[in-house]
Amino acid sequence: MRLIVTKRVKPLKFGGIIIPFLSIIVGIFLATIALYGLARVPPLLVYGAIGQSLISPQMLQTFVMLTILGVALIIPFNAAVWNIGAEGQIIWGMIMSAFIGLTVAVRYIIVSPSDLPKYTNMPGMFVLPTPTVSGAYAVEALSMNPGAAICLMLIVAGIAGAVWALIAGLMRAYLDIDEVATTLIMNYIAYYAYNYIVYGPLQGITISTSGFGLSNALHPALRFSRISTATTATWEGVALMIAIFVIAWFVLRQTTFGLRLRILGSNPQVLRAAGINVRKYIVLALTISGAIAGLVGTILFAGNLYQLIKIKTITTPPTHNIGYTAILVSWLSMLDIRGVPIAAYIVASLFQAGINLQSSLGGVSGGSAMISSGALTYVLIGFVLTTFTVLRVFAEYSIKVVREGR
Amino acid sequence: MYVPDSGEIYVNGRRVIFTSPIDAIRHGISLVSQIPQLIGSLTISENIILGLERFGMMANIRKVENYIREESEEVGIKVDPNTEVWKLSYTQKQLVELLRAVMLGAKILMLDEAITFLPIREKRKFYKFMRKFASQGGSVILITHKIPEALEVADRISVLRRGKYVGTVETRAVTIDDVRKMMFGERSAQITYERLPISTPDEKVVLDIKDLWVMGDYGAFSVKGVKLQVRAGEVLGIAGIAGNGQLELVQAIMGLRKVSKGRIAILANGGLEDVTNKGTGKVRSLGIGYIPDEPLKFGVSMENNIEENLAMLPAIAKGIIKWRQIRGFANRLISEFNVVTPSSRTPVKLLSGGNIMKVLVARELSIARKLLVAYNPTRALDEVTAVMVRKIIKEKVLKERLAVLLVSEDLDEIFQVSDTVAVMNSGRIVKTFPAEKAERDQVEKLMVM
Repeated sequence: MRLIVTKRVKPLKFGGIIIPFLSIIVGIFLATIALYGLARVPPLLVYGAIGQSLISPQMLQTFVMLTILGVALIIPFNAAVWNIGAEGQIIWGMIMSAFIGLTVAVRYIIVSPSDLPKYTNMPGMFVLPTPTVSGAYAVEALSMNPGAAICLMLIVAGIAGAVWALIAGLMRAYLDIDEVATTLIMNYIAYYAYNYIVYGPLQGITISTSGFGLSNALHPALRFSRISTATTATWEGVALMIAIFVIAWFVLRQTTFGLRLRILGSNPQVLRAAGINVRKYIVLALTISGAIAGLVGTILFAGNLYQLIKIKTITTPPTHNIGYTAILVSWLSMLDIRGVPIAAYIVASLFQAGINLQSSLGGVSGGSAMISSGALTYVLIGFVLTTFTVLRVFAEYSIKVVREGR
Repeated sequence: MYVPDSGEIYVNGRRVIFTSPIDAIRHGISLVSQIPQLIGSLTISENIILGLERFGMMANIRKVENYIREESEEVGIKVDPNTEVWKLSYTQKQLVELLRAVMLGAKILMLDEAITFLPIREKRKFYKFMRKFASQGGSVILITHKIPEALEVADRISVLRRGKYVGTVETRAVTIDDVRKMMFGERSAQITYERLPISTPDEKVVLDIKDLWVMGDYGAFSVKGVKLQVRAGEVLGIAGIAGNGQLELVQAIMGLRKVSKGRIAILANGGLEDVTNKGTGKVRSLGIGYIPDEPLKFGVSMENNIEENLAMLPAIAKGIIKWRQIRGFANRLISEFNVVTPSSRTPVKLLSGGNIMKVLVARELSIARKLLVAYNPTRALDEVTAVMVRKIIKEKVLKERLAVLLVSEDLDEIFQVSDTVAVMNSGRIVKTFPAEKAERDQVEKLMVM
C-alpha cells in the first residue's frame, strides 16, 4: 500500500470558496478545544462571542482597514513582490497626516485663562484640554478649509507611504536586495522614527502632552465623521474603501499594467522577452501598495486616534499590528481581489471576538481571565490559518492509496 | 515525476508504483532528457556523485574519478572528470548525462530526445554503445520525433499520437512512409522536406550586425566578432550545433544580453537605427517578433490563458485592455493555426506543448512587421505542424517582405526555409552560402569543424 500525492493540473472546483470557509469552521472548532484545554474557556462562550462579533458594528472599522490593506497587499503579492512593510507605511501615513492636521491646517492661539471663556464657544475654535507649560491655554484655529485639509492629509499620507515603500522597491529592483527583509526592517525604523517625532517635532504643547510622547489632539472639524455612535467606522473610511477596491479591481483585471503584474508573479522572464521593463513594475507594485497603506494611516489617525501616542513597547504600536494581520487577509483571499472583503470580514470578526471574549471572561474564575484579548484573537486566527494551510494542500494536490506488488 | 491516474506499470513482471525519480532509478530505469540537468558550477565527477547511492554519504572523490575514467572508456566517451560542467559544450554535457545514466546501473535506459541534437559522429558512437548495451541484456527506450533516427537504431518502433498508443512495428518490415502514416494518418501527405520557394531579397537591410562580441554566462566570449545582415524578404538560416553562441547572439539582438563590443542596427523610419544595448522594449517597439529557445519559460506565461498571453505584449494591447477585441483576435489565431484548445480562455499550461508553440508562433508572426527572430521555432512541434509553420513563415517573407533570422539546430529546417545559409561554430559565422549553393555535407562539416 502506498500513498500517492500528485499536484492537480486543474484546480479543485469551487476550491477558492470551499477551502476558506471550511478552514474557518474547522479552525474555530479546533481553537475552542485548545482554549478549553489550556485555560478552561467554555466553548459555548467562544461560539457566542464569535457569533456576536459577526454582526457586531464594532468590527466595522477593522473590516474597513483590513479590506483596504488587503487590496494594498494583493497588488504586489500578485507580482510575487512581498510587501511586509504595511506597518511602517501606515505609521508614516499617520505621521504625515498628523503633520498636516496639527501644523499646516491649524494655527495655535495662546490665551490666558481669563480670556478662555471667550474662545470655548467660538465656532471653529478647539481649546486643548490642559494648559501649556507657561500656564496659558492653547486654542486650535483652522487655517484652511477643513475639506481641503482632509484631502491634503490623505494625499500627503499616501505620498509618505509610497516613498517608504519606494525605498525597498528600488533596492529590490536595482540591487536585488530581498524586499521581504527590507520592508520588515523598515517597519521598525518607522516605529522609532514615530517615537522620535512624538517626543520632538510633533510633541504637544500642553503640560499633559509635552515630553510625554503625545501630540496635540486633532481639531474636531478635521476628524472623520462616524457612521453611528455604536461604531468607530467613518463615512470617509467606507468611501475610501469602496473607491480603492473598485479602482484596484479595474486596474488588476482590465489594464495591461494589472495583467503584467499578475504575469510578473509567475514568470518574469516572459515579460523581459516581451520587452517590458520588469524593474519598473516591481517598483510600481511596491509604491502603489505603500501609498494605499499610507491612506490607512490617515483613516487611523483622523478616524480613531486623533492624536499620536508614543509606542511603549515595540509589540504594541498604535496600528495594533494591523499591517501584519492584513497579510493574513490577503492569503485567505487566495490572492484574488474579490476574496479580500470576505477574508477581511472574517478576520475582523475574529479580532472582535477576541475582544468580546475577553470582556465576557471577566466573570469566569481561574486562569482564563489572565488571557489577554490579543492572545485570544491570535489563537482563533492562528487556528483558522493553520487549517487553511493544511486544506490548501487538498486543493492543490490529489491524494490516493494504491496497492503495489504482483 | 508524474503518477498515473489509472493503469499499471510492471517492471520484470512485478507491479510498481513510482512516486519519485529515485523509485525508478532503484528499479534500474534512468532517463536522459533533451536539456542537460547538470549543475554548472560543479565538476563532472561531483555531478555524477550526486546521483550515485553506491558511494554513500562520505564519498571519496578520487575513487569516483577513477571509476568514471573506467566507465567512460567503456561507453566510448572521453572526459576529464575534473572539468567544471559550465566549460563543456552541449554535446559534452549530453555525453556526461548519458554516462551518468549508465553509471546509475540502468537496465532500462530512456532517452527523451537526448541524442537528437548531437552531431552525427557522436550519435553514431552512441548508437554502437546502445547496441552493445542491448546485447548484454539491457533495454533502451529512445524517444524521438526524427523518424530516420528511429529507423536507424531501433529494433521495434512504437507510435504515440496525442497521448494515445497507435501501434508497434518491426523496424525491418516498415519504411519511413509507413511510420509517418501511423503518426499523422491522412495528414502525413502534407509532410515534405522539399525546399520551399526561394525568395529574392530586397536591397533594404533590416538587421545589420557588425563585429559583435557577447559574453556567455560564465565570463567567456560566446559570440566572437559576428557580422551579418538580413534583408527584407529574406530568411537567413543560421546552422550550428547547440552551444556555439547562437543563443547569446539571439539574446543580444533582442536586447536580453549585454553587448560587449560591436553594433546591432535595425531598420527604423527608413534608416538603420543603432539598438545596441538599448533594451528589449526598444527592439520590440520597432516591430520585431521573437520566438525564443525554451518557449515555455521565455515565450508564454503558463499560468495565464491565451487571451492574456496575447494582451501581455505592448504591440497588442496598451493601457485599458479591450477584452472583446482580444478575444476576437485570439479566436482568429486559434482557427488559423488549428490550435487545439477548449477556448481562448483556457490556461496555457493545460495545452499540449505543440499547441502552446502554435499560440506563440501565431502571436509573434502577427506582430512581426519587419523582422522575426526565431530560435528552433519548430522544435516541439510534430512534423505536420512544423511544416505548416515553416510554410506560414515563408509566405510572410514572400508576400509581406518580412525579414527572418532563423537559428536552428535542425538542418532539415534550415535547408527547407532559408534563402541564405550561414554556419556558426565556436562563436563565429564560419561561412555564408546562398541557399541554392549550400551543400548539406559541407555545412555539416563546417558545423563540427
